[in-house]
Amino acid sequence: MPSALKYELVARCSTTKARAATLTLPHGPVSLPLFMPVATQASLKGLTPQQLEETGCRLCLNNTYHLGLKPGQDVLEKVGGAHNLQGWKYNILTDSGGFQMVSLLKLANITEEGVRFLSPHDGSPMLLTPEHSIALQNTIGSDIIMQLDDVLVTTSPDAKRMKEAMERSVRWLDRCIAAHANPARQNLFCIIQGGLDLELRKTCCIEMVARNTPGIAIGGLSGGEAKSDYCKVVNTCTSLLPEMKPRYVMGIGYPEDLVVSVALGADMFDCVWPTRTARFGNAITRCGVLNLRHSRYANDFRPVEEGCECVCCRQGEGGLGVTRAFVHHLAAKETVGAHLLTMHNVHYQLSLMRSVREAIIEDRFPAFLRQFFRDRYDGDKTSYPDWAVEALKTVGVDLMEN
Amino acid sequence: MEQKKNFMVLGSADPNIIGPRMGRLRFEGKDEIETPNFLALTSRGAVPHMTPDVIASNTNIRGIHMALEDSISLADLTYGPLPGSKRISKMADRTEEWLSDLLKSRCQAIFAPVLPLDFDSQSEYINRLADDLADEIAGLAFYDSNLLPDMPATTSLSRLPRLSLDEPASPHHIIRQVSLGMDIFTIPFLGFATDAGIALTFRFPRPLPGDTDIPIDNGTAVVPLGVDMWMPTHATSLLPLSQSCSCYTCTSHHRAYIQHLLSAKEMLGWVLLQIHNHHILSSFFCSIRSSLKDGTFYSDAEDFAKIYESELPEKSGKGPRVRGYQYRSEGPGEEKKNEAAWGNLGPDDLVEGGLVPDENAEELEEKGFAERLS
Ligand SMILES: [Zn+2]
Ligand SMILES: [Zn+2]
Repeated sequence: MPSALKYELVARCSTTKARAATLTLPHGPVSLPLFMPVATQASLKGLTPQQLEETGCRLCLNNTYHLGLKPGQDVLEKVGGAHNLQGWKYNILTDSGGFQMVSLLKLANITEEGVRFLSPHDGSPMLLTPEHSIALQNTIGSDIIMQLDDVLVTTSPDAKRMKEAMERSVRWLDRCIAAHANPARQNLFCIIQGGLDLELRKTCCIEMVARNTPGIAIGGLSGGEAKSDYCKVVNTCTSLLPEMKPRYVMGIGYPEDLVVSVALGADMFDCVWPTRTARFGNAITRCGVLNLRHSRYANDFRPVEEGCECVCCRQGEGGLGVTRAFVHHLAAKETVGAHLLTMHNVHYQLSLMRSVREAIIEDRFPAFLRQFFRDRYDGDKTSYPDWAVEALKTVGVDLMEN
Repeated sequence: MEQKKNFMVLGSADPNIIGPRMGRLRFEGKDEIETPNFLALTSRGAVPHMTPDVIASNTNIRGIHMALEDSISLADLTYGPLPGSKRISKMADRTEEWLSDLLKSRCQAIFAPVLPLDFDSQSEYINRLADDLADEIAGLAFYDSNLLPDMPATTSLSRLPRLSLDEPASPHHIIRQVSLGMDIFTIPFLGFATDAGIALTFRFPRPLPGDTDIPIDNGTAVVPLGVDMWMPTHATSLLPLSQSCSCYTCTSHHRAYIQHLLSAKEMLGWVLLQIHNHHILSSFFCSIRSSLKDGTFYSDAEDFAKIYESELPEKSGKGPRVRGYQYRSEGPGEEKKNEAAWGNLGPDDLVEGGLVPDENAEELEEKGFAERLS
């Protein structure tokens, strides 16, 4: 199928499966590996699009389910899509809407046609099909659109249902490809399913890769499975995916998960956690998460994170030099406190991925990983998470080595 | 200690003349502002909705606002029913005593309050201000602007900047207070308008060419002071909030986005309105100063009164959620060492994102969201 992106491999880690690349999308280039902040309803938690741009973000996520409800397809059509709606000059990725539908509308069930649900207001039966999802995403005009998939929690014990979901997702991919009206302007990504069953995942990879979509997502994860199982799935899939296409693992955002997933060969990630956690007064830093609501920060006049280059932390020209004490003082009282931490947290995630990329390009990613875990656990190897140690061993990095 | 002279009345400073005036106000180490002007109201040291970088790059609000917030002294005010006569006389006495103490103990600029009592009940206190304390205080803060004409006509008092804490309810009230000689304002209706989803659109003394929302029948109908952005009519409007406005919101975004953000209850809606509304107020004061400079203030004020509606539009939508978030810790220790599982990232967004549709089946179908089966 046609593609509206260009994937250029810049470097490969000589030890792990990590890759650095430049992905050129309809609204400009982005550097991989990449974290995408989630602007669910066409806005990122109180930040102006200008502030989001200043964090260095060039690809953010909007949710199709939410935009389909508000402002709705009709308004989106009239204002000329989501870029025009939110005044965002750069790239947008949308999900299919199916995940929210299934997990939030209790009455939803999946049939071969699509997702059936009862309207919460009048109880009338409704149907969301792969065709609806693609039509909505075509109107939204996002640079990357996702197929509607039959998504099941990975921890589901029903093996038969899991197989059915995987196979149905392949059939729905065909319907999405057929329904896609703008393949020259929007990139459709398939979504690999199959739960924690590595054989199902392999079959799904082979089937979907054969459909030749511009990019590939690994779906159905971050739903409560053990992290070691998560790593096995990612590792298995990336080995079967074509080298020259972007690989997106959906719903991933904790810093440790990001660096390990990159080592396992994944390129793109999204998660609501960094922006959500800002609202609770949590600042993500190199040394872990600080809850600035804690009274110990009331008189802490250090920046939110020392050495951080974000607008919030930076001192001098253009920086605000915001202290932990100031955020503590605002926390829970004024939304401005959350806006400031949102800026910092988004910046942290993006700059983490930038340093990951530099490390890959300079072929020192294993050393980067060791330093990352040292900082995060204050040098205490006994508290490193086992799943991360094990997963990195499979790609040739031993965190325990001196 | 003597206060450095921080205020200069420009033009006529004859204390016997009650009328509008222009001035220049400066605090040490801060920018100066021309008066009449307004101060952004802050809460816990922050202007609601706007982060300091947004304030710096998108508004005319300067450091001086913060400096002044600290220096407005809290008078001995009673809220609720008016105090009895015995209490009134005590109130002025206590304020005088308290102010003297404050002046002794603090080395920063202090605005002395003029209490919301008739002049006679506080004459002793005010005379003391005029005779003894005027050199030590940085200005006068009026809780009732009607007392301005009653102030003793001494140079010592008239050279002080006058700060209004008299909460004007509309731009008409601001103009009236300016005409009495008020210099600096705090404007609570600015924040109320933002929270109510109202974009202020008034100009002094009349709309600028190109402004929308002006009734077409030439000058006979009154022009609204603002636009209620909750109205569904804005849902597909690609117009800025105000076509003559050069603020970030108006140059980068359109009404359809603001309308969407309000109805989706996204915080950014109020951020963008706050940026715009502050800009409108800054321009309003700037035009008032030009009008004073040109000597056309009185006729301009008359025009404004004729052209614009007397009150702000009614609030129709819901304001932002009450500030203050659920108290909950999501601390760093959330991941266990072994076989850690993913945190469930669902329920919060369910609550905050309005995930259960407000729409009925027919509307969902119209929106292209899904189709009805029967
Ligand atoms: Zn920072
Ligand atoms: Zn504006």
